[in-house]
Amino acid sequence: MADLRLDVREGAFAQRKNGQPVVPGKPDESLLIKRIYSDDPAFRMPPTFSHRTLTQEQKDTLRLWVEQGAKWTQHWAFVAPQKAALPEVKDAAWARNEIDRFILAKLEANNLTPAPEADRRTLIRRVTLDLTGLPPTPAETDAFLNDRSSDAYEKVVDRLLASPHYGEHRARYWLDAARYADTNGLHFDNYREMWPYRDWVINAFNKNMPFDRFTVDQLAGDLVPNSTIDQKVASGFQRCNVSTDEGGVILPEVEAMYAKDRADTTGTVWMGLTVGCATCHDHKFDPIAQKEYYALTSFFRNTTQPTMDLNIENTPPAVHVPLPADRAKWDALNAQRKALREKLADARKQSLESIKQWLPKADPQAASYAPGNQVFALRVSDDLRAVGRQGAQPVSRPEQVELIEAPDIDAKALRFKKEGSLDLPAVSEFDPDKPFTIAMWFYMPNSKEDGPIASQWENLPKEKDGESLHRGWLIRMDKGNLGIYDHRPSVYLSGADGKGISAWPAPEYKFKPETWYHLAVTYDGSGDRRGIGMYVNGAPIVSVGRPEDDPRLTASMKSTAPIRLGSDGSKHFEGGGVADFRMLTGIVDPEEAELLFLSTRFNAAAGKTVDQLSAVDAEAIGTFYTYRVNPATAATVNQLRAAEKDLYAIRRRSPSTLVMQERTDAEPVAHVLYRGQYDQMRDEVHPNTLSALPPMTHAMPRNRLGLAMWIVDASNPLTARVTVNRFWQEIFGTGIVRTAEDFGSQGEPPSHPELLDWLAVDFRDSGWDVKRTFKMMVMSATYRQSAATTPEKIAADPLNRLLAHGPRFRMDGEMVRDYALFASGLLRPDIGGPSVKPYQPSHIWDTVAMEQSNTRIYQPDSGADLYRRSVYTFWKRAAPPPSMDIFNAPSRETCTVRRERTDTPLQALVTMNDPQFVEAARVLAQNAMKSNKGLDGEMSFMAERVLARPLDPNESKVLKLSYDKFVAYYKSSTEDASKLLKVGESPTDTHLPAPNFAALTMVANEMLNLDEALDK
Amino acid sequence: MNPIDEKIMVETRRQLLARGARGLGSLALYSLLQQNATAATEKKAVGGLPGLPQFPAKAKRAIYLHMLGAPPQMETFDYKPGMEKWFDKDLPDSIRQGQRLTAMTSGQARFPVAPSIFKFAQHGESGMWVSELLPYTAKMADDIAVVRSMNTDAINHDPAVTFMQTGFMIAGKPCVGSWISYGLGSMNQDLPTFVVLNASHSNPKANVQAISARLWSSGFLPGQYSGVALRSGGDPVLYISNPDGVSSEIRRNMLDATDEMNRIEMARLADPEIQVRIAQYEMAFRMQSSVPELTDISKEPESTFKLYGEDARKPGTFANCCLMARRLAERDVRFVQVYHRGWDVHSMLPEVLPSQCKDIDQGAYGLVQDLKSKGLLDDTLVVWGGEFGRTVYCQGKLTATDYGRDHHPKCFSIWMAGAGIKGGTVHGETDEFSYNIVKDPVHIRDLNATILNRFGIEDTRFTFKYQGLDQKLTGTEKRAVVVKDILV
Repeated sequence: MADLRLDVREGAFAQRKNGQPVVPGKPDESLLIKRIYSDDPAFRMPPTFSHRTLTQEQKDTLRLWVEQGAKWTQHWAFVAPQKAALPEVKDAAWARNEIDRFILAKLEANNLTPAPEADRRTLIRRVTLDLTGLPPTPAETDAFLNDRSSDAYEKVVDRLLASPHYGEHRARYWLDAARYADTNGLHFDNYREMWPYRDWVINAFNKNMPFDRFTVDQLAGDLVPNSTIDQKVASGFQRCNVSTDEGGVILPEVEAMYAKDRADTTGTVWMGLTVGCATCHDHKFDPIAQKEYYALTSFFRNTTQPTMDLNIENTPPAVHVPLPADRAKWDALNAQRKALREKLADARKQSLESIKQWLPKADPQAASYAPGNQVFALRVSDDLRAVGRQGAQPVSRPEQVELIEAPDIDAKALRFKKEGSLDLPAVSEFDPDKPFTIAMWFYMPNSKEDGPIASQWENLPKEKDGESLHRGWLIRMDKGNLGIYDHRPSVYLSGADGKGISAWPAPEYKFKPETWYHLAVTYDGSGDRRGIGMYVNGAPIVSVGRPEDDPRLTASMKSTAPIRLGSDGSKHFEGGGVADFRMLTGIVDPEEAELLFLSTRFNAAAGKTVDQLSAVDAEAIGTFYTYRVNPATAATVNQLRAAEKDLYAIRRRSPSTLVMQERTDAEPVAHVLYRGQYDQMRDEVHPNTLSALPPMTHAMPRNRLGLAMWIVDASNPLTARVTVNRFWQEIFGTGIVRTAEDFGSQGEPPSHPELLDWLAVDFRDSGWDVKRTFKMMVMSATYRQSAATTPEKIAADPLNRLLAHGPRFRMDGEMVRDYALFASGLLRPDIGGPSVKPYQPSHIWDTVAMEQSNTRIYQPDSGADLYRRSVYTFWKRAAPPPSMDIFNAPSRETCTVRRERTDTPLQALVTMNDPQFVEAARVLAQNAMKSNKGLDGEMSFMAERVLARPLDPNESKVLKLSYDKFVAYYKSSTEDASKLLKVGESPTDTHLPAPNFAALTMVANEMLNLDEALDK
Repeated sequence: MNPIDEKIMVETRRQLLARGARGLGSLALYSLLQQNATAATEKKAVGGLPGLPQFPAKAKRAIYLHMLGAPPQMETFDYKPGMEKWFDKDLPDSIRQGQRLTAMTSGQARFPVAPSIFKFAQHGESGMWVSELLPYTAKMADDIAVVRSMNTDAINHDPAVTFMQTGFMIAGKPCVGSWISYGLGSMNQDLPTFVVLNASHSNPKANVQAISARLWSSGFLPGQYSGVALRSGGDPVLYISNPDGVSSEIRRNMLDATDEMNRIEMARLADPEIQVRIAQYEMAFRMQSSVPELTDISKEPESTFKLYGEDARKPGTFANCCLMARRLAERDVRFVQVYHRGWDVHSMLPEVLPSQCKDIDQGAYGLVQDLKSKGLLDDTLVVWGGEFGRTVYCQGKLTATDYGRDHHPKCFSIWMAGAGIKGGTVHGETDEFSYNIVKDPVHIRDLNATILNRFGIEDTRFTFKYQGLDQKLTGTEKRAVVVKDILV
């Protein structure tokens, strides 16, 4: 029965050469039935070698099914959800909303009764934790206890939904799904700047962004017409995958890996399907053909992203995200720039007449474009002149340097023969704190060797790793790296200590041999790699550079070396050429860079009449005239310059974040990969969705935007179900479908199918209102039940899937930590910003990292950043924060929508011994003692914060007994007391009696380790 | 719902209960803790699957020494005497056969053969050829079986070591240590079942590969079967030490109160999970004494350091990790994984490789001899090897004294000892260039099947249902074959 498939209708009912597997109503004619009942081991199914057998009961079930007509229905999750009528229940008064009707009906059917409503303290603690991830303050608890109005609870819920901590808590779950982290993940595992995406997620939840928009922006924010900066940031969802820059990797293999990860993540998060199972073959259990899977991957295969992450934090495509304080100004400046440019364009159209007058009289030599801040230029006509601040000096030209005509750029140029280079007088104005610009035309020879274009590059008398160090600057054609990077111009700036920074065009830019390019390199005096800018042919390009060990340019780069064209003092630019070389102080803005690019054209055109010019040259002259010559536009040009300067300043202080960007020169395409192997390409496939689901409509473009539209289309049976199920899981601990990641036939069927569908339809029809859905869940009587259980309930439903009592389970590691910080008063409630590094045991990073990694040494923060919420903790994928890892946090290498929840001794060690928790206990005790209430009062103070309730007498007795033992010990060992009171960075109040303080610290440690404190 | 779905649903439910997502597994643990408190003498595995081992096991534990970065086989165990005359000559196309290359050498204009500059000699009664770089390993030639015909599907480190550990190149599957812990359970209730040691390397010029916890992850198996990294600096187990100023007595008092408070809560809520939590805190407390006792080597006799070398005194060295591995084996820790990094000799091989070999040679020898003299080698499997081999042709510039080697998945050498492995055996053969296997190829899946076999497990009958498939350590591609020739 080779290639027989019983998971698809066609397979089961098709006529085969030896019979029909399933003949409805006729088990004895059905091959399937014959074979499972057969006594002949060679004929019987399943085959012996599979080590699987069917029980008699299973066989009989199958037989019965065939006998009854072999009714074949589609898998439940692929059928569109419908709102069923609310089930009838006996105890209708118990139900507070629709959720309860479904839950109660099932409880009643199982002869179970709901637990009574939890007391108000339990309730406010639970709902505060579920909606914000933090416990309530004593004041909040008291207010709720004292509010006798009928909607007291609803008021609490509304207050919590409006809290900015709500978004942080929701985002934390989402970031597991998004596999968000602060490092690239593989090999060097270097820093990745991605936190603006994380903050976008937090804000989106806080603003209650409709889930359909939330989806579209993350899958295709960059493709949405007129997309905003926020939408681009959101598209970073699909840039959160791990990436590599390992020297030996094979690019198509890595590309296949990235596309697979993105398709798998999309499948898990929005479809609840293990689409990745179809990587190597058609999905064994769900209707996903291998071809369809690769069609899905093709949506993600048309990006401008380089395959190698370059080991940098802002692997292109990336955007600068202005800080909140800069937002308004940024938008205003951009609008202003646009208006000014339009104004200048208009002025240009109107200046044709004056250009006609002016051009024939313009003197090519005298009018040669020379910005006021130019400190050096090499003027090439029939002879060479070095134009410095002191005026022009003739330069003699060695024989190995040819003087040529370069018609492509309308100029005379130098061309370097073997060993040829031209030395020019040194310019010693450039230093790390001084902005400057170097610009030139260069001719790229057909060579695979490094080619120094221009330099002032002095050897230092020291070496690193066998290579000599330099000071000065160098612009060079780099031969590329291991055959992975193409030939491209690069810039190196280096100080007297041999430390420096570098930049080169991002890999998406290709440079063709035997071509002239204009290059302008700017450096803004910041000492920082990101302070280097590059313009090619007048247009700004994205540049990248060396990330290792945070190189900074600080030591002086003033050099006595001459300016060398065509050489760096040792190597030569054989076959290469240079023209119109200039050095300027200050950085040029985009307009000036364009003028530099146009200046040779202008020189050639000056003195001619307009009708002698080619269209391209006329265009260039128009620009030149408008920006440089026309007195009528001077004021506007100056305004534009000022705006550019401000925009640059804002951009430089903004973080960047990785985004998606579609290639415009290609259509998305992929190939079926035989057995998932990148080098076994089979049929070409184009973007499409799964055939088992409603098809994409004509209104949906065949790209990520279309995919996103399809996902949130009302006809999609999965999106709403999968999403509300995850929300349910966050609140109740287990989804209605337990396997939140798999709604396919191998996933677990829903415990309450009609409830799931009701919630899904309701969610979708509400306009994908997330807060509304959470509110409905926490307002339900189901949610408000006490968590107390009974042996009968445990026997009937050990995992509480039927919800005969309220949800109660161990909190995630982030919550456990935030809880301790909050209860103690240490937590800093600020929202957003760069990731922080709280306490961490030594050598977590360096034992696993490569020597070259810039996340090899963990340097903890100090002060306020130690006490931020855990959603802001720096996440290195190769070594996640250990206290989170131990509590089952995923490594964030792949999408996770359901964390495991174990209970291990290693977790006990964290909450007992981690300085974070010991310090929290100490500060909690200190605050209790400062409340001046005596021991009972102190204990009560702590209990209100940790347990949201006072202690009962039994408990007080237990805790006091331990307190007495602790006091006795710390009185006899004051040294230990003072040691304990020094744990953590926050100040200790030395006026408090040390033995009592230490003893109360240990009581606080007890409380923070109680099962009740660790469970929500 | 159709009957097939119904059946699957029932099946899944049943499995869920059997596996006991949260409740039952931990309850079992709780009962074992009780049992441990009363009957400490009886060393019986707890946890584990019914029906395992499936046949009498040779191994109770394993120690797996992984040389991360991939040692060159032609400088260690795969002696190729004819290579000198090939110096700087191009590797014949008939040998390379269009074999795919990493991006590091695929752009190279030619592939000049770089013969090993290190000498080989025969050792032991078996006359095994071993490189001069491994003098101690050579002394135990008759204790180890060398497989010269290992091969893998991966060509770069990350996927290759993942493949070796899990049978798959893509992360997310359980590693061999997790599989064995899951299948056979724990023989020591005061220490983790599966321990990982990361050894330091001594040569700063060595090319080091990254490592991460995913290599000792339990993948889709329950989280408690992940390896626990035993650290050489700071706390050996994370957070095991009480904070400054908290004595063991204070911790005991604290736990007494916490336990009592938890019991009060238990009376109120009747949730069995509370009992589990109490048990876990008690186990944490026991680990607080058993772990320091494990890592305290001050009572080891001088002879230990003669055997393993003086390096064994220094925390974190490979020799020290080997000593730790023996101490873990003595305490019946099921699986010990040791990683030693820095073997990625793309360049400067003659300079780097001797120090890498020196780092590990005596420690590995000491471990095998020590296990033998303590009677533990009979039921402890020791495995030594890297994730792939290296090319016979030179990467970068070839001179008489300097060369480097690129990754080579088609053949490499490992050795195994103990647990019924036939010492003095050499299995498999490569061609004269150590490029292709000419006899008895052993794939990663065969190695893993052999490891399982030593534990009394047949790979095809040791599966875990995940995403609808019966997942196993030996993958889905081909049937694995136990390497019978190296077994007694």
